[in-house]
Amino acid sequence: MPPAGLEADLLELGRSLAWAAPAPEFASRVTQRIVSRPVTQPWWRGRSVVFGRPVRRAVLIAVALLLVLAAVAGAVGLGLPGLRIIFGVPAGASPAPSASQAIPGASASGGPGATLGLGQLVALDQIDGAAGFHVVRPTDPAIGPPETAWIDTARANQVSLAWSPRPNLPPTLDPGVGLLLTQFDGRLDNGFFSKAIGSGTTVEPVHVNGTSAYWVSGQPHFYFYTARNGQFVDDDRRWVGDALLWSDGTYTYRLETSLGRDAAIRIAESVR
Amino acid sequence: MTVEGRPLEDEELIERAQRGEVMPYEELVRRYQDVAVRTAYVISPDGDAEDAAQEAFVKAYAALGRFRTGSPFRPWLLRIVANEARNRRRSAGRRAGLALRVAEDRRPDDAAPSPESAVLASERRAILLAALNGLRDDDREVISARYFLELSEGETAEALGIPRGTVKSRLSRALERLRVQLGSNEPGGIHV
Repeated sequence: MPPAGLEADLLELGRSLAWAAPAPEFASRVTQRIVSRPVTQPWWRGRSVVFGRPVRRAVLIAVALLLVLAAVAGAVGLGLPGLRIIFGVPAGASPAPSASQAIPGASASGGPGATLGLGQLVALDQIDGAAGFHVVRPTDPAIGPPETAWIDTARANQVSLAWSPRPNLPPTLDPGVGLLLTQFDGRLDNGFFSKAIGSGTTVEPVHVNGTSAYWVSGQPHFYFYTARNGQFVDDDRRWVGDALLWSDGTYTYRLETSLGRDAAIRIAESVR
Repeated sequence: MTVEGRPLEDEELIERAQRGEVMPYEELVRRYQDVAVRTAYVISPDGDAEDAAQEAFVKAYAALGRFRTGSPFRPWLLRIVANEARNRRRSAGRRAGLALRVAEDRRPDDAAPSPESAVLASERRAILLAALNGLRDDDREVISARYFLELSEGETAEALGIPRGTVKSRLSRALERLRVQLGSNEPGGIHV
């Protein structure tokens, strides 16, 4: 039976009120508030392996907050346990690969990636030993072996493999690089992004060999993470293109390419 | 948010959010942001309802570990929103009232007004609203939950943090007081 009398009038009044509609960015602002409060549960729950003892965790959180605050105004971020992606250009960072970031003695002719500040150049057959872990490579014969391998000891032995542009590997934002595969010993925990907040960057959840991965495209972005050895890594290197991020549970991989999402996934699924 | 084109159920989004994933929670926020802002508005009309609702969503995220799996998310969330709005109302040190405004324009989905709304002139709505704003907070909250937010009795009970039986009795008394208020505002009231 429909309501009558006063009850019907109240229902009608409720439908006639000048309700304020939430702003279009309401939900993303909530997310932004959440990621800017890293001390709240369940944000850091179960991260003891990564963050260590509570006191140390608090220090790291404080560092994380400082890094966030140091980001250029307007940059917005999304957080992941153990990994945070910040969308925007880091404060003070050059919008383009900087020669000052290059390793001493390296030049643009020093091979792909030489101007990206990827660390020290290491012979391909020695990279596993230098890194202390097995460095994976795409097994797709069309991709072939990388031309250069780099290790950044300042970033917890982050390893980067670089390929020159070629017909099947079009140039990235760095014209000397056709493909860049970075690997580090740090976690990319469960995170599920459909889009970035308040910026031109999008983060699309995808899968690599059945596990969660993220296709990051659009505006420049950088991130920081806590490596397994506890080192806090502020990776503000400018990315050279859209990127695929995935993890095997121990190591995290970032593949940067101009080939697009699907090709990136195919390459990622071939690494061994 | 979809996975391979399939919209995710609340429960699945909540489970992922409980594991620390942020974007599934953002999808939940999108689903319930309208009713959350409305809830904050009816409880603390003088405050910033949107900000209160956002803060409530943040607190709800932090409290997801205590969410009972399988129970409905909406009333659980609205209870947090209501608490947040009440706290702000108390902090403001003023009694929210007379801030509910009657819409001048009809909503787009009201293009074909019901017979009731057609006869309910703005003056009559203003009288009813004034009478409602004259009620105490508890009365106005239970009326707002049932008739403005159109929550069920069960949802109202959880959102307001009172037993279900209390919803019935409190609503009955609130309506009675509203009738009295209407009688004092305008002899004859509206539809009593």
